[in-house]
Amino acid sequence: MTTLTALANSFGSVATIARRPREIAYFSILGLGVLAGLAAVVYTLVVGHEHAYNVTREIPWGILISTYVFFVVSSTGLCLVSSLGDVWGFEKFEIIGRRGHLLAILTLVTGFMTIAMELNHPIRMGLYAVISPNFTSAIWWMGCLYGIYLVLLSIEFTSLMEGWRRAAYISGLLGFIAAVSAHSNLGAVFGLLEARHFWYGPYMPIYFILSALVSGGALTPLIVYFNHKVRGRELSLKYREFMEVIGKLQALFLRILMFFTTWKFITGIYGQPPEKYEATMALLAGPLAVNFWFFEVLLGMVIPFLILINKRTRTVFGVAMAGLSSLVGIFFMRYDLVIAGQLVPMRENLGEAGHGLLHYVPSSVEITIVVGALCLCLLLYSLAEKIFDLEGGHRHR
Amino acid sequence: MKNKRFAIVLDTRRCIDCKACTVACKAENNVPVGRDNYRNWVSEEPLRGTFPNLGQGFTPGQCMQCGNTPCNRVCPTRATGVNADGIVTVEEKKCIGCKYCMTACPYNARYYNTETGAVDKCTFCAHRVYEGRLPACVETCPTKVRVFGDLNDPNSEVSLLLARHPHRVLKPEMGTKPFLFYLS
Repeated sequence: MTTLTALANSFGSVATIARRPREIAYFSILGLGVLAGLAAVVYTLVVGHEHAYNVTREIPWGILISTYVFFVVSSTGLCLVSSLGDVWGFEKFEIIGRRGHLLAILTLVTGFMTIAMELNHPIRMGLYAVISPNFTSAIWWMGCLYGIYLVLLSIEFTSLMEGWRRAAYISGLLGFIAAVSAHSNLGAVFGLLEARHFWYGPYMPIYFILSALVSGGALTPLIVYFNHKVRGRELSLKYREFMEVIGKLQALFLRILMFFTTWKFITGIYGQPPEKYEATMALLAGPLAVNFWFFEVLLGMVIPFLILINKRTRTVFGVAMAGLSSLVGIFFMRYDLVIAGQLVPMRENLGEAGHGLLHYVPSSVEITIVVGALCLCLLLYSLAEKIFDLEGGHRHR
Repeated sequence: MKNKRFAIVLDTRRCIDCKACTVACKAENNVPVGRDNYRNWVSEEPLRGTFPNLGQGFTPGQCMQCGNTPCNRVCPTRATGVNADGIVTVEEKKCIGCKYCMTACPYNARYYNTETGAVDKCTFCAHRVYEGRLPACVETCPTKVRVFGDLNDPNSEVSLLLARHPHRVLKPEMGTKPFLFYLS
């Protein structure tokens, strides 16, 4: 009932935006971003993927796939971190239960929209995934598990909003299991491809879960910080404690991520294993080097880690900025992962002269769709903040 | 076709890189124009030796009609299938364009056909083969690089060639068990 009442009042709440000029500017910018994205979508549907995107026969997965991965990793991370309170009993995390699960739903849905634009026949998928399923396909399982995950997230969020204690706990626990299953399976989409040496192996499913935790550890403090900032409120003691704990936890997640990344790269170059070596070098000293060193390593890991391990910088603002820095880095991390795995040609003479690698730079249409998707996610979340009462999360025991 | 296992045996020493096989294939199978659109190809090997003693080899290729098919395994909607005779097919209406098969194929043998709205690949010209004709690339080759036949028949030309000559497959380490054999 709370949800319904909130929805009924939503139009009134949204109408109050108009009274604040900064909010008008904020929503206008997001609205313009979404409109630009929509225009790019319409353009793609009219001229066809082959004229709108820069993906090729050799690199069939581009920035739309990596952005989809970014969104669903965020969703999983948000679910895992915000379940810590409602499912696993870490009381300091209860306050982000509602917001965390809501944003998990929105990032997942935006992710689905992004991948729908990369698929040539998303509608056909809906039909044949049901009547002609292939149980050995990781993509089939991906659709199936993420579908279940979305349903469970929605039940969990509704339960948290309505105060249905038992339902919140059960759906939260099942949602947690679904999140881990769906997301490790997404890692397996890449990890099961024997042809792609950079991806192949058990590393991907494990790495995806770990990096989801980093995404969750980056996004949850950002939500808390900006919610207070926008409303001009001081953080209450509970929220300040949460920021302190998530800051420490994120430092741990980042430490593990750096450990994983280091070994991934050592095994990638040690002994120059064929194809894996070339892909690794593309990141270390090749076409993806700036992405890797500046965005992925410096912004994604080193800077936030340094902020978070230092007690003087691990302030509310510091934890939020570490989250923002990580989030930007993680976006590039996904891009690098998806593209690097495809840069080595499957036939030797297909690569470019010199380094022998393939070439991909996203088209302006692809980038505009990505910007539109990011704006849409932020817009939906900002509107949801107006519509729902997301304060507090409650222990449902 | 039951009780058959189709294969192509290639003698690459005969290849003169004329690309007649690619042209014939495009015409036969309505492959659209465009850089990415082809079912078969001729790879140029690196130059050997130093001037004036130079040599170069060419390796024609196409879908290997693998015995262990990564493309079939990963297709979420079973658009990719394998016939009893080993020919790997794509059922166009089921293809959702996720391109997972394209990333799974170690030979880059697949492309997205915008005209049919599905991923496309060599089928050994199954429509011709089932009428008792040869694949277009085999029929058109002026130097007879490719020999097509049934490996289940011990007296077929492909079986005899493989019995008489040492041969190799491409990327054997992938474990795909290709049915395109290259005479060494």
